[in-house]
Amino acid sequence: MILRILHWLSRCILAGIFLYTGYIKIRSPLQFAAVLSGYQLFPDSLILPMADYFPWIEIVLGVLLLIGWKIRYVAVAACALLASFLTVLTITYFRGIEANCGCFSFEDRISLLTIGRDTLILLPALFLALSRLRGSGPGPARPEIA
Amino acid sequence: MRMSYLVPTFCALLAAFVAVPAQAPAVTPEQCVGGKLDAPVRIEVFSDFQCPACRTFYLDVIQKVVETYCSRDKVCVIYHEFPLKNHNLARVAARYSKAAQRLGRKQWVTVMGALYTSQAEWTWDGSVEGVISRALSPQDLAELKKRLEDPSIDAAIDKEVALGEKREVQSTPTFFLSSRGKEERVVGGVPYPVLKGYIDRLID
Repeated sequence: MILRILHWLSRCILAGIFLYTGYIKIRSPLQFAAVLSGYQLFPDSLILPMADYFPWIEIVLGVLLLIGWKIRYVAVAACALLASFLTVLTITYFRGIEANCGCFSFEDRISLLTIGRDTLILLPALFLALSRLRGSGPGPARPEIA
Repeated sequence: MRMSYLVPTFCALLAAFVAVPAQAPAVTPEQCVGGKLDAPVRIEVFSDFQCPACRTFYLDVIQKVVETYCSRDKVCVIYHEFPLKNHNLARVAARYSKAAQRLGRKQWVTVMGALYTSQAEWTWDGSVEGVISRALSPQDLAELKKRLEDPSIDAAIDKEVALGEKREVQSTPTFFLSSRGKEERVVGGVPYPVLKGYIDRLID
C-alpha cells in the first residue's frame, strides 16, 4: 500500500515538475535559448532548435506521467532526460562558468544547491522506472506489490 | 479523433494559452538607438553602463542588430537607463547618456559606444567626462555639458528606472522582445547568432 502511494506521489510530483518547467520554457523560448547558450556546450546552430523542442518533450512526459500510459517506459525516458540535464549542469558548474540553471526559473544560478535539487528530482523517476507495479510495464505477469 | 490530430491541437491550445500579450509601449522615437517604432520587432533594453555583461551585449550583439536590421526598418532597438545602485559611476554615466540622447541619435550612439568601449578605463579612474570628450566634437561636448545641468535629466532617468522596476527588471541587461502582439522578457544577454536566428524567424 505504501509503495502504491509512493508510486502515485512520484508520478504526480514528476508530472507537475515537467509540466511546470515545460510551460515556463515554452512561454520564454528566447530566454531558454539564452540559458542553453550560457552553458557554452552546444553550437549556436543547435540552440534555437533545442529551445523549440526540449520543452515539448517535458510537456509530453508530464502528460504521459499524469495519465499513466506505459509508465515504466515514460519513467525511463524521464530518467534519461533528467540525467542528461544533470550532467550538463554539473559540467557547467565544474568548468567554472557562471550560467543560469533554467530549471524552475531563469534567474537561478547553477550551484551545488541546484545540482543537489535536480538529483533529488531524479529519485522519483528512478523509483518509477525500477518499481514493478502490476500493469505498469510490458512482459509477463509481474508480482504485485501488496 | 486520431492521435495525429490530438497532438497538434493540444500544442496549439497550449501555445495560445502561454502567449503573453505585448504591453503598451511607453517610449518615444528619441529613445530608439536604431530603427523606427513601428518596426515589426521591438527590442527594449534596460542597461547599466558599468555592467560588464551590458557592455558585451551592446558591443557584440546590439550594434550588429542595429547594423543588420534597424537600417532595413525590421527592428527597433530602444535603450532605457537602469543604473544599478551597487555601481558607483553608473548614474553619472547614465546622466551623460541621457543628455547626449537629447542632442540627437548620432551623438547618443557615439556616447553609448564610447562609454561601453572604454568601460574599464572610466570605471577604474572615474574619468567619464574624459572618455566622452574624446568621442564628441567640441561643439557637441559644450552643448552636452549645458544639457547636463538640466534637472529633468535625473527625472528622466528615475522614470526609466521606475519603468524597469514596474516591469520586474532586477538585473542588467534585461531586455524585452516584442513582435506580433507577443512580448518576451529575457534576463541576461544572448549571443548574436541566436538572436539573429530568432529575429529572422519573426520577420520572415
